[in-house]
Amino acid sequence: MSTQQGQDAKFFQRGKIEEFRAELQAAEAKDKKYQKRKIVLKKIVANITMGNDMSPLFHDVIQCISTPLLEIKKMVYLFLVSYGRSKPDQIHLVIPSFLQDCNDRNPLIRALAIRTMSYIPIPVVTEALSDQLRHCLKDRDPYVRKTAAICVAKVYTADPRKAERKGFVELLRDMLIDENATVVANAVAALSEIGDRQDGVIFKLNLTIANRLLAALGESSEWGQIYILDSLLRYVPEQHADAEMMAERVIVQLQHANSAVVLTSIKALLYLMNYMDNRRLIEYICKKMGPPLVTLLSSGPEVQYVALRNILLIIQRRPTVLKNDVKAFFCKYNDPIYVKLAKLEIMYRLAREENAREVLAELEEYASEVDVDFVRKAVRSIGRLAIKVEPAADKCIESLLKLIDTKVTYVVQEAVIVTKDIFRRYPGKYEGIIPSLCENLDALDEPEAKAAMVWILGQFADKIDNADELLDDLVYSFLDEPAEVQLALLTAVVKLFIYRSQSEATKALVHKVLKWATEDIDNPDLRDRGFMYWRMLAMNPAVAAEIVLAEKPAITTDSDRMDRGALDQLLLHTGSLGSIYHKNPETFIRNAAGRALIDSPALNANSRAVLVTLARPQLPQMAISVSGPGPVEPARPSQPGEAPSNLPLPTIMESSLSDERDLLDVEGDDGAGGDSGEGYPDGDDDGPVTKAADPYASLGGAFGGYVTDVPQPVAGGGSRGGDLDDLLF
Amino acid sequence: MAIDGLIILDPAGRPIIQSSYTTYPAAYPLLHIEALNNALAKAPREGSVDPVIYVGELSCSSACCHVEVGEMRFIATISGDADPLIAFAFLHAFIEILHDYFGTVSVATLKDNFDIVYQLLEETLDSSGHPLTTSPNALSDIVLSPSLISKLLASVSPATPGVPSARQGGYGAFASPIPWRKAGVRHNHNEILFDVVEEMRGIVGKNGTTLVSNVFGKIESNAKLSGTPDLTLTFTNANVMTECAFHPCVRLQKWTRDNALSFVPPEGRFVLADYQYRPPQSAVISNVPIPLSLKANMDMGEFGGTFALTLTSRLIKVMENLELKFYLGEDATSAQCTLSSAGSSVGSVGSADGSWAFDMRTKTLRWEILNMRSSGSWILRGSWTSKIKAPRPAHAFQIRFEIPSYSFSSLKVDQLRLSSETYKMYKGVRMRSKGSIEWRW
Repeated sequence: MSTQQGQDAKFFQRGKIEEFRAELQAAEAKDKKYQKRKIVLKKIVANITMGNDMSPLFHDVIQCISTPLLEIKKMVYLFLVSYGRSKPDQIHLVIPSFLQDCNDRNPLIRALAIRTMSYIPIPVVTEALSDQLRHCLKDRDPYVRKTAAICVAKVYTADPRKAERKGFVELLRDMLIDENATVVANAVAALSEIGDRQDGVIFKLNLTIANRLLAALGESSEWGQIYILDSLLRYVPEQHADAEMMAERVIVQLQHANSAVVLTSIKALLYLMNYMDNRRLIEYICKKMGPPLVTLLSSGPEVQYVALRNILLIIQRRPTVLKNDVKAFFCKYNDPIYVKLAKLEIMYRLAREENAREVLAELEEYASEVDVDFVRKAVRSIGRLAIKVEPAADKCIESLLKLIDTKVTYVVQEAVIVTKDIFRRYPGKYEGIIPSLCENLDALDEPEAKAAMVWILGQFADKIDNADELLDDLVYSFLDEPAEVQLALLTAVVKLFIYRSQSEATKALVHKVLKWATEDIDNPDLRDRGFMYWRMLAMNPAVAAEIVLAEKPAITTDSDRMDRGALDQLLLHTGSLGSIYHKNPETFIRNAAGRALIDSPALNANSRAVLVTLARPQLPQMAISVSGPGPVEPARPSQPGEAPSNLPLPTIMESSLSDERDLLDVEGDDGAGGDSGEGYPDGDDDGPVTKAADPYASLGGAFGGYVTDVPQPVAGGGSRGGDLDDLLF
Repeated sequence: MAIDGLIILDPAGRPIIQSSYTTYPAAYPLLHIEALNNALAKAPREGSVDPVIYVGELSCSSACCHVEVGEMRFIATISGDADPLIAFAFLHAFIEILHDYFGTVSVATLKDNFDIVYQLLEETLDSSGHPLTTSPNALSDIVLSPSLISKLLASVSPATPGVPSARQGGYGAFASPIPWRKAGVRHNHNEILFDVVEEMRGIVGKNGTTLVSNVFGKIESNAKLSGTPDLTLTFTNANVMTECAFHPCVRLQKWTRDNALSFVPPEGRFVLADYQYRPPQSAVISNVPIPLSLKANMDMGEFGGTFALTLTSRLIKVMENLELKFYLGEDATSAQCTLSSAGSSVGSVGSADGSWAFDMRTKTLRWEILNMRSSGSWILRGSWTSKIKAPRPAHAFQIRFEIPSYSFSSLKVDQLRLSSETYKMYKGVRMRSKGSIEWRW
């Protein structure tokens, strides 16, 4: 079908191309004000925009390039942008016109010429361009200068080393102090693009330049402000005072109307806070960040979605930010589902003893809604709320029982799943509700819910009078159950037997299940577990009881927070795709450069304790360091271990690359590439020092899912800074 | 790496115009279009597709950010660690520009002016994904709007074909020290108009208590002023505005220092400021009172239900275009209602000011009251039927209304001063309010 179509389209085009060619030729005669040619060119451009291949007209179209009408020139240039690169053998015909236009009186034409040339990565063109570009970077007209700045990034992409040798990077750096703010912003954009390349020079800012850029903020367009604010992450403060002063100037930008400017300002602030020591100032900044974030929620659903995903990250790192604003995240009935789910997660994060009542009331409301996904998440959130906020647990249980009474199957199943965790969080407190759960045994048809219920039956078999009957019923379909349920049944039956080893019926039941598990089942996990239980029970039932009914560690929701170091790192990507999916971009985007905090004397101890180091050390003191010609030219492609794939592999590249970069860096960077976490003993027991290994291991399920956090056992001593203050830094 | 390009899709999901994507494989834009169309086709109901769709194929992982405009969809494809918010901000800016150029944005206008759209794309988005110039004032110098082109064609005498037409407009935009304003604007009649629009968003709980209600304000301006006018706008009660966000032209320091808006405006329409209204007595909980009340008597039965809704205005002003929407659930089949009104405000009683309709497609009951005078009550009684025994209607009504010449905050302009220019200008301020309330039952 599609090939058929493709052929048809080809016929169509061939006819068209002949037609256009004839029209263009005819237009050469008696073309008053070039109107005829304009009309034909317009038709050709129309076909380009619709994706039709007009490249056979190359020769005919470029004849029009010297027409002194700007509109025609523009269309010829549009044509060249589309097909220039595919005509390496004919492109030289256009070069004289390019050169002429680069020196035109009209700055628009000069800019148009260099821009178009930069889109055509063919050696003759780039060669001609690099001579012209040098003049244009110093053109008297700011429109030409700002266009030239962006062109440098393109020239650099074509051949980085050559662009460096020709001194373009220095020329670009000089533009950072241009008098025109738009030019400054574009120079920053170009340098950032170059700096983000893995084979690019390092782009870093020193205090003086950073300050000058901040001064240019006021006169920049909104996009310029975004580039400038984003580039502040390339400045590493050496003293707390520098970071504080800079933050104060960024705060003003929170009053911007463009949502992207606001979020980029917040990103810069979050970054700078790592280098501050003044508790009150940090608190002040956190307070200032809240309202603009809430304001983003009054925009369209798309912006809301991006904002919400970012807020979720921000409040995990800086819980004071929206501490009192949980109401801003109440879901409306006609919010799109993706907005609702994101809000729900934030509501749970913001829930505390003080607002638990309000939050619970909302969650109950959502549990009666129509959308199944949303209702499930709401029910689950009620359970998680019970686990998180102890004083609210009673109310939450009440509400879960009410929901179980509704007999709506998916509601009941979610409720059962969370109830299991509640039992583990508050042992001995809520077992009284087990009978209500048992009433709904037949309604459970999802593996997770069924497994949860079976676990409850086994764990509390001593308290449930008819546990043996219930389990006996459930075992009936043992062989047809999914593995998750089979495992749960096996364990539950063994527990039952340990509680009631006297009962003959129980003995028969456990025997039957163990026999099935070890003889009729293919699943190796199930078989192994079956054998283990069997041996234990056979050798020494008393020891078996001790093992099987051993005290379970209580669970908490503290550990559902992301690892601090990983959070710090993710927050450097605030606003980006990485922050939407809660994954570091280099883990799922090809060629993305990772970011990490850089150590400096100003980095505060708390951030340093969880510092994640990265393959590529970024930007310490110097404004820009450019490698000169000579032996220290980076030779990345020959790196061992890197060759087979294009994916950045931080751990492998770490040692080799950082050494090399040190050589490039004029002032040297003192060990920013090394494991700087080691030099500083872990001051407080607030989280372990994260090694460079793989801090994202815990984020596995984060992609696409909204609930990343299944309750987990309390780690070690359990003093994981649960309260807000510990996270202030 | 940032925004790689922009694609505009027609209502059927076919591309109308797309940027050149020169450095990408030909399949690249197609993959994104396909990803979006697939997601839309799979969506259970409208508006449930994530606005950022991850496209992992073709080894260059990227994402597709999309917004709906009329029946069209605008896609910005982003790759690398790009910022979706920049993509959305850019899409909105671009759509604004199209509005500016063509008045309306529709398939027809875009197809008629594709060459201009294409030029605009080239001018606003660099091929490596940097948004460039999106300020309409500066753009109008580089890309001529359709009306200007025809004017130029008419005026240029046939004797001088050699003059590049761009000189006509003067390319002063980038020479001007102010990026949002071009130099040398002249008007015979100088005027600036401000529209203060305040929108209330609120949620009312089952028991009738207001859970959340916030008022977001916007000062929209339309300036036609000559030269470089330096304006200072002051308010008698600037303190009602909090969490302000300003157009880049506003001098932020001045606002922080003495609560005056000091700015050199762009030409034409722009949003000067956004703010949130905080009632003065706001200590901790600050809900702005909702100007109407709803009493809902709901009776859920088998295969349907009955309801009686009473709406009462709590405002002296007349509310206009009040609309109440009630989603009756996926399985609703029909609805029957009667309208009546009561209360002190005598006049035309009955169905004259109100109407209701049930939309089978969206399963939504809509009740409209064009003019809602103060202190009257409007009543809608009715019933609906459903295919299933236990119907699941929405547990909330969506209410929208407008209040002309009214502001929740009673924000008042004190004066507008013009310095640096000597002419007299016409000034105007208008207030308008609207609301969207979710009322649960």
